[in-house]
Amino acid sequence: MPPRISNSSARCIGRALPTQNPQCFSRPPAIPWLTRTSQASSQRHYASAVSPIPLGALRLPDDYIPPTKPPSARRPETRKSQLLRAYTALLRSTPLILFFQHNNVTAVEWAAVRRELRKALQEVEAPFVASDGKVPADVAGSVELQVLRTRIFDIAFRVVEFFDPKIASKQSKAYTHDLSPAAYESIKAANLADPNSTYATMSPLLSGPVCAVTFPAVSPAHLAAVLKIMAPSPPAFPAPTRRKNPGYYELTAQSGLQKLLLIGGRIEGKAFDGEGVKWVGGIEGGMEGLRAQLVHMLQSAGLGLATTLEGGAKGLWLALEGRRTQLDEEKNPKQETAEAEAEKKE
Amino acid sequence: MITRFITEVNAKFNPFSVASRSTRLFLSSLPSDARSTGMKINAKLLPQTSKETASLMVKFKDGKEMDLNGEQLGIKGIIEEVDRHSRALQKQADLTDG
Repeated sequence: MPPRISNSSARCIGRALPTQNPQCFSRPPAIPWLTRTSQASSQRHYASAVSPIPLGALRLPDDYIPPTKPPSARRPETRKSQLLRAYTALLRSTPLILFFQHNNVTAVEWAAVRRELRKALQEVEAPFVASDGKVPADVAGSVELQVLRTRIFDIAFRVVEFFDPKIASKQSKAYTHDLSPAAYESIKAANLADPNSTYATMSPLLSGPVCAVTFPAVSPAHLAAVLKIMAPSPPAFPAPTRRKNPGYYELTAQSGLQKLLLIGGRIEGKAFDGEGVKWVGGIEGGMEGLRAQLVHMLQSAGLGLATTLEGGAKGLWLALEGRRTQLDEEKNPKQETAEAEAEKKE
Repeated sequence: MITRFITEVNAKFNPFSVASRSTRLFLSSLPSDARSTGMKINAKLLPQTSKETASLMVKFKDGKEMDLNGEQLGIKGIIEEVDRHSRALQKQADLTDG
């Protein structure tokens, strides 16, 4: 970037220098950059519709580092602001999160747990193609186990729950991202103890050492696979057999898994305890299965209703008809019986 | 915290209750090799709707059983109570070992 000197000061210096004459171009200028600035000033267009400088030249290079913000020595994902944004994105995009308490799990045990988890998820059969032709998302590859920093996760939960950027952008023109003052104000003003909010139900869970298993979609088959590994409960979710999966019974994996406690889950924005999570994991066929069940239930209910309503009407009709024939027979027994026979023939 | 003399820990808590926090923290303060050194740790989780209070039972090598109320004591109180007995056992063990 060339050094900047405002026009007035450049002219002052120019006048002060005896040898310098901006109008005279016969002689080579004594101080080249001074005259260049004055030339540039004469060429300048004010309030012109089309800028002579191309827009691309105004853009900063991609690797530009502002001098007031030197790059941090810390990894960006461990920085608190970045972590908060990561957690809010996680909470907004992930429909199914399981929370586990981990009690002093060592690094090798984590590795073993993750290995078993990956193996169990790979064995889950890919779900069938839905009736509308949509192929369900690949869940198995994106299920992740991560240790949470609960305090920041708590704040992120508040931002997701109590801050709506759309409403905030209508109210004022200020920034409405998750780190903005608008977000801060709204979570500060929110009633955190409101019993109807998911946050109030979930916030006691998020204390102490907590890790989360995140699923990109609500897939009961994959949820069941994870529960069988991390929180086995014999009748519905048995642990894999020793013959089928010997790695699961390895000492490090077992000691790691014993230290994990399923404390709850967040499914479609609602809080579930361990039993609730297991109920969701027990839904056969996933959402499609649930829809099929609902359709079947509604159909059978409809059929039952129709027969019930019909039955009443039929009973009434039969009674009235019986009474009519009885009265007719009493009036003129012979004729009516003949007519009735004729009606029957018709 | 001295965990050498603890042989069994039974905890029961509802994770959705704020009062069960200290019981959960006690479980997390046990060392990572606790199970492999012979300590029995049983944790039972209550359902979300249960109003039952959190309970914590700690058994020591000399047979003493301690029922701790985490809601009143807090995590510091629990550790203090457990350590008080553990220190006595430690003193005895040091004397007998010579």
